[in-house]
Amino acid sequence: MVSQGVRSLRQLRAGDSACVSAIANHRTGAKRLADLGFVDGASITMVRSGKPCIVRIDDRLVGLGLGHQEVILLSA
Amino acid sequence: MSTHVEPLPASRHKLVALAGNPNTGKTTLFNALTGYRCRVGNYPGVTVETRKGLIRSEDGLTPHTLLDLPGTYSLAAHSADEAIVLDALLGELSDVDVPDVIVIVIDATNPRANLFLATQILELNRPTVVALNMVDLAKKSRVHVDAEVLSQRLGCPVIPVVATKQMGLDLLCQAIDKADASPDVTVALDWPSEVTSAVEVMHGILERVANGKDRLALKAELLQTLLGDGGYHEQRWAKRCGDDFRLLLRQQRSAVVKNGDSLASIEGDVRYAWIDRLIEDTVKRDEGRPTGTARADRILTHRVMGLAILAILMGACFQSIYAWSTPIMDAVDSAIGAGGALVSAWLPAGPLQSLIVDGAIAGVGAVLVFLPQIVVLFLFLAVMEDCGYMARAAFLLDRWMGLIGLGGKSFIPLLSSFACAVPGILATRTISDRRARIITMLIAPLMSCSARLPVYMLFIGAFVPDTQFLGGAIGLQALVLLAMYLVGTIVAIVVAILVKRFLLKGDTQPFLMEMPPYRWPKVRTVFHRAYEQAREFCVSAGTIIFAVTVVVWALGYYPHAKSIAVAHDAQRQAVTAEHEVVLLEIERGGDGVATSLDEQTLEMQAKLSRIDQDEAGEYLRQSVLGRMGRWIEPVVAPLGWDWRMGTAVLASFPAREVMIATMGTIYNLGENEDEKSVGLRDKLKASRHADGRPIYNLPVALSVMVFFALCCQCGGTLAAIKRETRSWRWPIFTFVYMTTLAYIGAWLTFVIASKLYA
Repeated sequence: MVSQGVRSLRQLRAGDSACVSAIANHRTGAKRLADLGFVDGASITMVRSGKPCIVRIDDRLVGLGLGHQEVILLSA
Repeated sequence: MSTHVEPLPASRHKLVALAGNPNTGKTTLFNALTGYRCRVGNYPGVTVETRKGLIRSEDGLTPHTLLDLPGTYSLAAHSADEAIVLDALLGELSDVDVPDVIVIVIDATNPRANLFLATQILELNRPTVVALNMVDLAKKSRVHVDAEVLSQRLGCPVIPVVATKQMGLDLLCQAIDKADASPDVTVALDWPSEVTSAVEVMHGILERVANGKDRLALKAELLQTLLGDGGYHEQRWAKRCGDDFRLLLRQQRSAVVKNGDSLASIEGDVRYAWIDRLIEDTVKRDEGRPTGTARADRILTHRVMGLAILAILMGACFQSIYAWSTPIMDAVDSAIGAGGALVSAWLPAGPLQSLIVDGAIAGVGAVLVFLPQIVVLFLFLAVMEDCGYMARAAFLLDRWMGLIGLGGKSFIPLLSSFACAVPGILATRTISDRRARIITMLIAPLMSCSARLPVYMLFIGAFVPDTQFLGGAIGLQALVLLAMYLVGTIVAIVVAILVKRFLLKGDTQPFLMEMPPYRWPKVRTVFHRAYEQAREFCVSAGTIIFAVTVVVWALGYYPHAKSIAVAHDAQRQAVTAEHEVVLLEIERGGDGVATSLDEQTLEMQAKLSRIDQDEAGEYLRQSVLGRMGRWIEPVVAPLGWDWRMGTAVLASFPAREVMIATMGTIYNLGENEDEKSVGLRDKLKASRHADGRPIYNLPVALSVMVFFALCCQCGGTLAAIKRETRSWRWPIFTFVYMTTLAYIGAWLTFVIASKLYA
């Protein structure tokens, strides 16, 4: 758990869905994630968990490495 | 209100740029519109360069020029291929004008994600047309997009099309032809006031250095610069305006984020909020659509099963290269031999006959024999790309690539390099991490490309025993071939680790890649891809290889001293005279002659044949090539090679395919007429040192193959590295490290194999 009530994508199990609450830092990768639709309120489903994982966002499947999974924060 | 650009005359020839997300069918649409089929693949990064074609227009429309651009998710460029899109749309590429019309390709099955880029492009204020592609698949997935309402809201024509079935193309062509004005309405996004103010401030200062750019286009560019921290826009403006610009940008960014907003997420938040409102009015979808992709991914992206399937696919590829191609290869070889014999019989002996038979046919023919393998290799890669499997392979290998400091994205360029390093190096443009990209380029030439395959096939076929294991399921020859591919791969791993550790230190960027939906590979696309590569191979054989072959032939033929012919003619006359004496003896029934007439004739023919061979060998030794070869012999002798091998390797530094052609020419020049029809493989087996020892054996063959596996004998690869890194440093580094490793590797192989073989 990142902090109480907030978890990162890394904690999401395969088959579970959640909403994005924020991207945790301002690195270059964060902009790319936001451009792909990982923005506040976006609904995502974990398709295959692990390092890297596959998530479904909109109708798109996206493979994400651990570094990205840790900065995508989900609402409780 | 938008500022409209000056309307163009209706029939004016236009430059039309095709932009969109990866996997939206842009390249398929390009092919459908132009009839010029270029490479299409179902993974991100197939189009890494721009390519042009003329639109095949009907109804008397002007045939406009269509420019295919790499796929990108955003104009906030972070990788080299995304930067190309941006430069092309802004007219900043040196060889491409500002496009008159931009066609945005949107995947109708997933409009929300695609509209992000579309809104960015609309802000550039150019005449724009949206091609809503794959409406057939959208219908199947029960997604309905109202093109009319979408068109009203975006302020530009939206044309539903199915590029694969060539549906809707006429309407699209008409819309392109009519598109003369910028969008009717401005996409009015709800930017925070701090962002709008910062863009105004930057615009006020930078307008004078912007060379009369459209006001709205410049503002859109500055918006990307402001919000894209560390991106390509920032680097370009900093290069143009220096430290003053960096200071201005820092000040404006602080003003934007002072209320605690994350700079990175502002654009995503604002655009997707606008897009969501648009989607509510224009897109209807039924949930619970069936997804074959999800079912396939359960197995194909599984950590254990997925990797096992990938390993089986790779193994099947190598086995098929060897097993399927051999019969075709033998047929091509026989045809080339017959062609040479025919020309020999038809043309009188002399320099022209020698040039055609020994130079062109023996040289270029020796290379063309290997066309079947190359076609098989490319067919395999094309199927993997077209069905969407490549991205899964990158996903599966990301963790393993991470061990050597690279990411899964490096896998696709490296796999392409097994066909040819040049497209492999171009494909690194999709890697946004600069360090990972350079390392991938440095090791790409170590992947055994298709040009090395002929060398392996020649030496394995001639010197590796055809031993079978497990009841014929695995052959020793195929195992040695696999080992040659592994030599390059293992050395590449070590090089990558060392470069990452000592030259290009730093963290690796995490994996981020779209997994495109699986689609059945299109037979036409797959075969066209293999055909294009085969054609390229033949063109290379017909130009570079032919040119080098002619040079090698000339160096090996001249000065063709008459004194050699005179001396050997004297020997022939002596043998003939001696034979006539013996014939007379036989006729007289002399006691001194123990053998029959037939035996005497055979003996004379053998002697004459040896004289012919001595003469051909003497010509070659006295030729310019022969003299050069002996100079370099001391350098190559420790590797177990004779001067002919050394010369062929030296000639193949510009392009390694030349080696087989050079060997074909050298060995044909050094043979008498009767032996010219024998294949190069048999000539190598039969060649002997002066003392009767064979020149080639298994240790020499392994030494040659290891040298080729590791050496950078490809001018095209070095030029590609120079172009992509914009520096001489990396191509020089690549050439030096690979050539040094190749020499040491070949020497060690020869020494160790000689000990074991003895």
